[in-house]
Amino acid sequence: MSNAVASRAGLSTRRLAGLALGAAVALFVLAGVAMPDSTPGKVLRVAFTKSALAATLRLSVPIAFAALGGIFAEKSGVINIGLEGLLIISAFVAVYAADVGGSVWLGLLVGVLASTLLAGLFAVVCIEFRADQIIAGLAVWLIALGLAPFASQAIYGGPNTESLEGSFGTITVPVLSEIPFFGALFDANPVVYLMFAAVGLSWYALNRTSFGRWVVASGENPKALDTAGVNVTRVRYAAVLLSGVLAGFGGAALSLSLGQFIGNGATMVNGKGFIAIVAYLFGNYNPVGALLSTFLFAGLDALQIRLQAAAIIAVPQSLVRTIPYVAVIVVLALFGRTRIPEAAGDHYESGED
Amino acid sequence: MATAVHLDGITKRFPGVVANDDVDLAVRRGTVHALLGENGAGKTTLMNVLYGLYEPTDGQVYVGGEPRRFDSPRDAIDAGVGMIHQHFMLVDPMTVTENVTLGNEPRKWLGLTVDEERARREVVDLRDRYGFDVDPDARIEEVGVGVQQRVEILKALYRGAEVLILDEPTAVLTPQEVDDLFAVFEELTAQGKTIIFITHKLGEAMHAADEITVLRDGRNVGTVPADEVTREELAEMMVGREVLRTVEKPPADRGERVLAVDGVSVDDDRGVEAVSDVSFSVRAGEVFGIAGVDGNGQSELIEAVTGLRDPTAGRIVYRGEDVTDWSRRRRIEARMSYVPEDRHERGLVMDFDLTQNGILGSQHSDEFACDGRLDWDAARDHAETIIEEYDVRPPNRRAAAASFSGGNQQKFIVGREFERDPALVVATHPTRGVDIGSTEFIHDRLLALRSSGVAVLLVSSNLEEVRGLSDRLAVVHDGEIMDVVDPESATEEEIGLLMAGEDPSDGSGPVAAGATNEGGR
Ligand SMILES: Nc1ncnc2c1ncn2[C@@H]1O[C@H](COP(=O)(O)OP(=O)(O)OP(=O)(O)O)[C@@H](O)[C@H]1O
Ligand SMILES: [Mg+2]
Repeated sequence: MSNAVASRAGLSTRRLAGLALGAAVALFVLAGVAMPDSTPGKVLRVAFTKSALAATLRLSVPIAFAALGGIFAEKSGVINIGLEGLLIISAFVAVYAADVGGSVWLGLLVGVLASTLLAGLFAVVCIEFRADQIIAGLAVWLIALGLAPFASQAIYGGPNTESLEGSFGTITVPVLSEIPFFGALFDANPVVYLMFAAVGLSWYALNRTSFGRWVVASGENPKALDTAGVNVTRVRYAAVLLSGVLAGFGGAALSLSLGQFIGNGATMVNGKGFIAIVAYLFGNYNPVGALLSTFLFAGLDALQIRLQAAAIIAVPQSLVRTIPYVAVIVVLALFGRTRIPEAAGDHYESGED
Repeated sequence: MATAVHLDGITKRFPGVVANDDVDLAVRRGTVHALLGENGAGKTTLMNVLYGLYEPTDGQVYVGGEPRRFDSPRDAIDAGVGMIHQHFMLVDPMTVTENVTLGNEPRKWLGLTVDEERARREVVDLRDRYGFDVDPDARIEEVGVGVQQRVEILKALYRGAEVLILDEPTAVLTPQEVDDLFAVFEELTAQGKTIIFITHKLGEAMHAADEITVLRDGRNVGTVPADEVTREELAEMMVGREVLRTVEKPPADRGERVLAVDGVSVDDDRGVEAVSDVSFSVRAGEVFGIAGVDGNGQSELIEAVTGLRDPTAGRIVYRGEDVTDWSRRRRIEARMSYVPEDRHERGLVMDFDLTQNGILGSQHSDEFACDGRLDWDAARDHAETIIEEYDVRPPNRRAAAASFSGGNQQKFIVGREFERDPALVVATHPTRGVDIGSTEFIHDRLLALRSSGVAVLLVSSNLEEVRGLSDRLAVVHDGEIMDVVDPESATEEEIGLLMAGEDPSDGSGPVAAGATNEGGR
């Protein structure tokens, strides 16, 4: 319990730092409103545009889906650190399938399937063969990171695929889409609406269904679930597969919205799977909370791109690019009050061992 | 009357151990049946077989007269058998209702949604039918062990249990809660339920049960009617020899002050003050007892003394030095021993074997470590010594702590801590879950330490134990010491009142004036 002591001793400094940060942000916004021509004013003007909100929503989709997937897996007791890999594999497969099948919706479906398969493999390794979840998760990432660009190379002759013909298009709600700023919510790619739906459904599944209860129990006290007559292994398989399905939507939506898979370097996924983990931790495993923190990071990312373009702040661009990541660290350090499921990361075997 | 449960020739083998050896057991419907036996006698294993957690190596289970084969608890539940384990199987962040209905949630809307209203109503109905005092909306982490136990019972009843198995249900309860539990037993049997419970306390078995079965070394050594047997007979059946002497305690030979707790306040995990301005001291050669209902700050106080929790105010002086800011390691090295309250959480690493567990806390000492390497031979010898001296019965020498019976885990911890050559022993519930023979043995060792000039700080919710062993007894309530009494002259009622937070006297009461003064500073 010495860590409890440490966290208690650290609380006051932490709270202070948190308050200071909040005050600084508030001051910045006030200054921006009061003096539209100052730097804060310009930043605000760039931030609160329809296009910035649209970009935030677009950038949120893969992160939010992956975060939802992570919630189910980890709540059930299996830490799925391989979300990044699931995003990569589904991003590539979706484009390939859409290219071959000639439909982005088909691409979406096959992308989800690919991610689910990889998650299934991860589940077997972790649950059946009792591998370390963190190592297995990293393996999932590395496999996908190698496999997707390689397949692209083999099929398209380069790490990047060709651009697709079709796209999801946008769904535009008349009138509402005309509203300044918030109009972007009513003039968006269908996958954005899918994201909102998935958040709602996930929340419902976790909080209102038996399955949700079992997932929570499986992550908190699997033995309690087992002795209540529910098969813990099955619940965990279901949760991990579900994380594959959800992450698959995220990865497929990412590449299909762009119409291309980019496999250079860290690929187009570029750490979104890891940001997703932070998002759900920060959101305390609540789908709505995870969505909100996703918005925070995606919003900062969108802002960062615009700040670079507008060159408002006299700071090297490479520093501006780090804003979302710095925010992640600050947020985790200052506000991380997450209650990690008691049995997360532990293997469970029922009966005699 | 009809037989509710019949175990016929049950044998259960683990690698290297026969936990149950051809055990027969028949329990009549509507009766309470107590299961007695030493640590490792196979009580828990036998009940796990009945509950479908273990598959018997041999033998047949009959429930309600029909032969049954349980592959999992689910099958047992379906056959009307419910079990309440030694360690509760509850999900902490969930509510009472959610826990009771877990795995059997009533559904609505094509089974898509949990019907929370109905769940709550059913739990309330059940609760009212058996007269339980439980709030259906409270979270498990917010309620005490007594309530948690009732939740476990409700859980079993909710699943339609006709036969309830309870593994050492009274080990964690206060005397009052034990009485409540036995009242619940009566209510349940009156409504036709059958109860099997495991206990180490002979008095409880004789009081609450209709029949008593004693296991020894995995075998059934006899089933007797509770009202035709004496304590002595039962004890002899369990151990195979005569036991039950009263502890002989020579008068204390007090030496210098070893521990002084001075105006200490401690917060609990939630940051609420759990111990308020407590002062007392413990001298060499005496046992200072702390009695109180669990959860009145004892745990936090002990954690402050042992260095696991920082006090928010006050000083802790150990052998003349202010150790308030000392690390745990420094305190261990200064010969402070600690038998923790929760043996799984604090006492042992469950995946370690005895050699590894035996040097926990001593991993830095010269005895076992040189040049940054551990001397495993010495560690092995040390573990062997503890096993021999404290009569620990492991399934085999290499076994992980997890495969030990609860009492054997406890004996090993006690042995490790007592063998450290301590100046102060802080012992919390040192005999919880330990059979009578070993309890006696641990008490003897504790008193031997006392005679050799060790200071002992003893916390126990077992009133008989603290009264028997302590030279001075502090009674705590709500984070404060109500009084320090002489355990020999204070009556059980007086201590009971103090535990409840009431002052039993105005002036000329049980309070030994000398003891109070000594405790004050
Ligand atoms: N999972 C297991 N693997 C190996 N051996 C085991 C296992 N469970 C129990 N045993 C062994 O079986 C024997 C009986 O253990 P059991 O837990 O049934 O005893 P018990 O009568 O409940 O004792 P206690 O009073 O200490 O709880 C012991 O020798 C124990 O070490
Ligand atoms: Mg037992």
